[in-house]
Amino acid sequence: MPPTLLPTRSTWAGVLIGIGTAAFVDETVFHQLLHWHHFYDRSTPAAGLVSDGLFHAFGWFAVVIGLVMYADLRRRDGLSRRRLTAGVLLGAGVFQLYDGTVQHKLLDLHQIRYGVDLTVYDWTWNVLAAVMVVAGALLLRRRA
Amino acid sequence: MIGMHAAHSSGSAAGLVPALAVAVAYVWAAQRLRRRGDSWSGWRTLSFVVGVLALGAVLQLPDGEFTAHMTQHLVIGMLAPLLIVLARPFTLMLRVLPPSSSRRALLRVVHSRWSGWLISLPVVAVLEAGSLWALYRTPLFASTQQHPWLHALVHLHVLLTGLLFTFAICQLDPVRRRYGLLPRAATVVLTGAAHAVLAKSLYAEPPPGTTFTPADLAAGAKLMYYGGDVVEIALAVVLALQWYRAEGRALARTQAV
Repeated sequence: MPPTLLPTRSTWAGVLIGIGTAAFVDETVFHQLLHWHHFYDRSTPAAGLVSDGLFHAFGWFAVVIGLVMYADLRRRDGLSRRRLTAGVLLGAGVFQLYDGTVQHKLLDLHQIRYGVDLTVYDWTWNVLAAVMVVAGALLLRRRA
Repeated sequence: MIGMHAAHSSGSAAGLVPALAVAVAYVWAAQRLRRRGDSWSGWRTLSFVVGVLALGAVLQLPDGEFTAHMTQHLVIGMLAPLLIVLARPFTLMLRVLPPSSSRRALLRVVHSRWSGWLISLPVVAVLEAGSLWALYRTPLFASTQQHPWLHALVHLHVLLTGLLFTFAICQLDPVRRRYGLLPRAATVVLTGAAHAVLAKSLYAEPPPGTTFTPADLAAGAKLMYYGGDVVEIALAVVLALQWYRAEGRALARTQAV
């Protein structure tokens, strides 16, 4: 029996890995290594904390489940690499866009960096996120 | 004045003795199974022994500081329950007990309606998250610093809710009702979020009636936040591997046809 690709499952594995990776990069690079992001801002409203808590908890779970789904797809010879890559870009892009607009701006969770003019940082952050979303969507639609 | 009133050691040897006794009982039971030719993974024995000894050891910490208290909280409520549940103590007991009235009684407990209710996902989630919020956001926490008996009772409660929660999520031992991956994953994410939100709020505002230093409070809150992550990732790995094995069995069945 020839292996059959599982495109939908490949996409979802990618989305979960993408969300988890973006959350992981945010946590390690910006919080722990650069110390740009603050653990807590006194002005953060309750909704900001709840949103952060949910995404934080979901991010870890997503990356673990996503990686195990990837292992399962490999075992079945059902992995569509194109769909996986598209999923990773979409997941990471949507998460970063949400983080950069809703969490940083709307919910005032924390800023990208403190003591500097934020315009450049905010635009870089969100444009990069939008580029990932668009690239992921295009890759998803492209015919195999 | 720094920290709480008198830094009292919570457990002394009182915590270590029962921990050692339970560990010895587990090792004895596992040895009995092996001697009669059954297999019982050494990893389970190791997990159990490390779990209960960590429990006994962490009770020896003086908990005058918030950071020390949080270390206890993480070990008693999350890490030790995980290690104990991974060792499948009920499965071991059911296998080692001869067909007898005590084995039947144990089975009745495991399969009873009330134990099924007690380890249903909504109940364990509310117990786990609700207990934490009640402890840190009411004067309860300040009271435990003044009354050793209340302090011991809260420790016991944290341990029991942690065990129930982990037991319900992992579903490794026989239970009355089985849940799929999705509701269990959702429960872990939601309680993990409640844990993270509470940790961040403690960073800014101590439990009512306490006077921890800001540095101690901040360190304790971060320990709670990231320590909670470690246990959440471990739970995610347990659930993901259960799914991976189930998929593998399904795959083997289709290939066999």
